[in-house]
Amino acid sequence: MPPRIRLRPRALCTHTSPSQTAFSLRASYASLATAPSIEPLPATPHILRPAPPILRYPPTQPPSHKPADVRKSQLHRQYQSLLRSSPLILLFQHNNIKAVEWMSLRRELAAALAKVDAERAKDGSPELIGEAIRLQVLQTNIFSSALRVVEFFHPEEAATVQTPHPNPDTTNTAEDGHFTHGLSRRAWEVASNKKLKSELETLLTGPMAVVAFPSVAPQYLKAVLSTLAPSPDFPAPKRKVNPAYHEAEVQAGLSKLMLLGARVEGRVFDLEATKWVGGIDGGIDGLRAQLVAMLQGVGGSLASTLEGASRSLYFTIEGRRVDMEEKENPKMDGEKKDE
Amino acid sequence: MITRFLTDVSVKFNPFSPRSKSARLFLSLIPPTARSDGMKIESKMLPRTSKEPATLDVKFKDGKEMKIDVEKMRITEVMEVVDRHSRQLARKEELLGN
Repeated sequence: MPPRIRLRPRALCTHTSPSQTAFSLRASYASLATAPSIEPLPATPHILRPAPPILRYPPTQPPSHKPADVRKSQLHRQYQSLLRSSPLILLFQHNNIKAVEWMSLRRELAAALAKVDAERAKDGSPELIGEAIRLQVLQTNIFSSALRVVEFFHPEEAATVQTPHPNPDTTNTAEDGHFTHGLSRRAWEVASNKKLKSELETLLTGPMAVVAFPSVAPQYLKAVLSTLAPSPDFPAPKRKVNPAYHEAEVQAGLSKLMLLGARVEGRVFDLEATKWVGGIDGGIDGLRAQLVAMLQGVGGSLASTLEGASRSLYFTIEGRRVDMEEKENPKMDGEKKDE
Repeated sequence: MITRFLTDVSVKFNPFSPRSKSARLFLSLIPPTARSDGMKIESKMLPRTSKEPATLDVKFKDGKEMKIDVEKMRITEVMEVVDRHSRQLARKEELLGN
């Protein structure tokens, strides 16, 4: 005799879809239906939900909105990382500089930076970034698009709102809203909002070249400015010191290279302000020393000011005491004289 | 753009103003060997806060001077204006048989 199983069709309806219900009802009528086949029914909600998708991309390469194997996308990604990783970026316009001239300009820049490196190594400062500073030609429009993503797309803020749970079930398509990398669809949507204006955008027309610094180091900035944009404040090396700098190719390249401005820690500086940054003596350490000296001076004067009130009080009271003693003493003296 | 007949170019602009775009693009149109071939090019950059308009002054080989209002013109229009005179000079040169 087959096992008698109580089935409540109404209860099943709440759990499953109509087609599923029909199946289970049929099963209840069939004489072959056994308990195990129906027992998983209470667990149906779990079974019906699709399994979390398998990640079909490496964790470091989430799917991008634009085709990832195109040079444009890769440049976009590269410029984003350049903008994020370098707090100080000098922007140049280059007007038809020849390859030979680029080469000689780069050679001079590398030589000047190596000199600064050697100086700093002698002083024993740990940060030697001379080799990381390079003159790089950019694709202007891709760079300005990357700049928009860097300036306006902040996924950390939005992520807390959109995904309250830590493990969102992401899909493998780029359209998924959970992706927060710079090439994601969300980044693209944010960056293509025309109402947002970045300060640097007016600068980004025409042929652009960039010198990016991995940290704000005025010593290196000084070397770069005096090599690539010589001015009275940052004189070019003399012919006797560096004859290679005065070769025709270098000078021809220099006349076609114009410094437009700088981006220092997210803020835009013009030519004069850039020169001011380059003019800070001794870099960040020099600034710290100046600040310490200033604060020490302030502390000293503050202490003397605060001390002043109590000291004057002390002097007043002391004076009064001496005065009173003198008043008492003459009597004593007088008494002594009388005796 | 025909730059053979230019002897003097002086540009002044504020790079932070969106209207200085064509002045900057004009500089980028000058061929790489122009300076070594005797064209004088002066470019002056204004500070960010200045409201001075961008200017472009051009001198031709026949002595004609041109002050081009780059603030209101696109770079294609600037090129047209410069090329119009350059083409006349080119025709004259051709007729003289040089």
